[in-house]
Amino acid sequence: MKGLFRPILALAALSAPAFAEDDLTIGFAIAKSGWMEAYDTPAATAAMIRIEEINAAGGLLGRQIRVVEADTRTDRAESAKAGLDVLDQGAEMMVVSCDYDFGAPAALVAEGEGMNSFFLCAEDAKAGIQGVGPNSFSSSVLAPVQGATMAEWAHARREARTAYVLEDTFIEYNKGICTGFNWMFPQLEGAQIVGSDTFKNDDASIASQITRIKELPDQPDVIMLCSVMPGAAAAVRQLRAAGINSLILNGSAVDGSYWLEATPDLSGFVVPVQGSIYGDDPRPEVEAFNKAYEAKTGSRPASQYAYPGYVLIDLWAKAVERAGTVDGAAVTAELEKMRDEPTAFGPRSFTADLHHQNTALMQIIEITGGKPARADEWRVSQPVPLDVLMKK
Amino acid sequence: MSLQLVFDALALGGIYAVAALGIALIFGVMRLVNFAHGQFIACAVFALIVPSTDALAVLGLGALPAPVLVPLILLIGAGLAVLAEALVFRPMRNASPVALMVGSFALGVALQNLLLALYGGRPKAVSLWAELGQPVQIASASVPLLQLIVIAAVAVILAGLALMLRKSRLGLEMRAAAEDFTMARMLGVRSNRVISGAFALSGGLAAVVALVLVAQTGVADVRMGGQIMLVAFIATVVGGMGSLSGAVAAGLGIGAASALLQAGLPADARPFRDAFLYGGVILVLLFRPQGLFAPVGAKPRV
Repeated sequence: MKGLFRPILALAALSAPAFAEDDLTIGFAIAKSGWMEAYDTPAATAAMIRIEEINAAGGLLGRQIRVVEADTRTDRAESAKAGLDVLDQGAEMMVVSCDYDFGAPAALVAEGEGMNSFFLCAEDAKAGIQGVGPNSFSSSVLAPVQGATMAEWAHARREARTAYVLEDTFIEYNKGICTGFNWMFPQLEGAQIVGSDTFKNDDASIASQITRIKELPDQPDVIMLCSVMPGAAAAVRQLRAAGINSLILNGSAVDGSYWLEATPDLSGFVVPVQGSIYGDDPRPEVEAFNKAYEAKTGSRPASQYAYPGYVLIDLWAKAVERAGTVDGAAVTAELEKMRDEPTAFGPRSFTADLHHQNTALMQIIEITGGKPARADEWRVSQPVPLDVLMKK
Repeated sequence: MSLQLVFDALALGGIYAVAALGIALIFGVMRLVNFAHGQFIACAVFALIVPSTDALAVLGLGALPAPVLVPLILLIGAGLAVLAEALVFRPMRNASPVALMVGSFALGVALQNLLLALYGGRPKAVSLWAELGQPVQIASASVPLLQLIVIAAVAVILAGLALMLRKSRLGLEMRAAAEDFTMARMLGVRSNRVISGAFALSGGLAAVVALVLVAQTGVADVRMGGQIMLVAFIATVVGGMGSLSGAVAAGLGIGAASALLQAGLPADARPFRDAFLYGGVILVLLFRPQGLFAPVGAKPRV
């Protein structure tokens, strides 16, 4: 056995990246296997792109950034272990899984050490001060903001006056989208929610829900669908098959063209995103990132969920430069001073109450004839208030 | 009750009935609750597309014309189930029912991870027979063609299976094995043949559910099949473990109840539809713990 191990050890020693004593270490406690992997890997890759850019430009505080990783296996218990694992490997800041449920156990480990943690793309206010602690952040845009953006945009640009809300009760994210829509839409001039219903993401059929919509005296101008894959694609397919042609709105979670085959020639489907993956974003930085991502992985981002990974490293690195240290409390204080801090994907703000975006400039993607394209951009006229965010 | 609701209820109930039958068949011959049944469904769905972890799915077998595709997917489902029986459950033939059940869980996890490795964790779009979604007007109801096909297919499958169980030799042996396995063997029923036959039928039924699900939803996801498997298992319990007609009746009943609750509950209570549904299941089991149509042999003799 000894003879067998020696060459392996030698190999391991060779393959370990050469790093100096004073390197700065970021720990990634993320899903590298299990179903969450498909969502964590793109954002983690984007984070790596920003880290490589920083290293190429001379590093952070004069130190090169080193990355260590541990796998949460899409499992809540393993997430806490992965947090401890990267801590043992010397992490001084922790990047955790996209979703609150799977990222929080690792983020709590970081919080216990007074260390900063960033969720890769969480969009629930709990993934921050309210659910983890004072040093935890997410750079993505809160789900209620996405719902509110859809409400205000559809009202202003598509004359939507009647809306039907169809909520998938599967995860908190979906509830967040509907919460934002239900808060914003009735405030708008002449706008009214004419009905609402719920379904479950893995329902084999939503025939009963469709029957209820078809029984309305007039078909609604828009249907706010608060859902994620695969249920969202299934719901859209069944709605359109039943001959319901209202404009369908959803959150960012269904961005990407990979699911469009499910409803051939889909039209009138709109989502808000942080940046366009389709090569038509008006900001050249976004397309430059898409190209860098393609150069690194061989394909363009499959959805907008790569972007928050890039933004989080960008914001954290700026705060570290300003604080002159990686100490959690000091960096948090600098992050909380950010008001409309420019990033490649739009301005970002953090406050002492909220480590999330309660308003954001969003690109509006519309699918027409099965082809997604940027149609517009929109920023909600007022931030979503904290009590709406926390009400659920 | 509107005609529309009758169709919605029948279509959902039909899917659950076919899934429940797949579980009851295997339970009948070897007292095994096959928790890998949901993964059999998922595997039959993924057989339609070319293995790749890319976000965009490419149709493989799914591009074939329906008259070739349907029998092929049924064969794949049946083949997978027979293979699982030969590799996993046959060596465990004399193990306790609990060990068998744990074995089926393990098989399910293994199959799911195989799919994850081959196809990645992201749901894939599968555009199979999109034209079947077109609504057809029947009196006051507008019913998607697919719903009609599902209802008709379920009726044909159930009739065919009933006929097979009554008239064919394999059917006779299966019923005998379900009644009393040891006695049936003593009387010359070949156990391997009966058990393989039951698995093949069960796998074929899983493939039927898979095709209906894909045509309905247009997506393939590694977690799909799990929810249906759960409902199907509950249906076999409510119907009476070991009773095939009981499983079918309970599957239909649960599907219909689910559609009725969705239509009838007030908006605030609708998110808790399943709580009401399973509350009803508990009530049924309180009054008939052995299930609605428990076979005589299921009662423990003191």
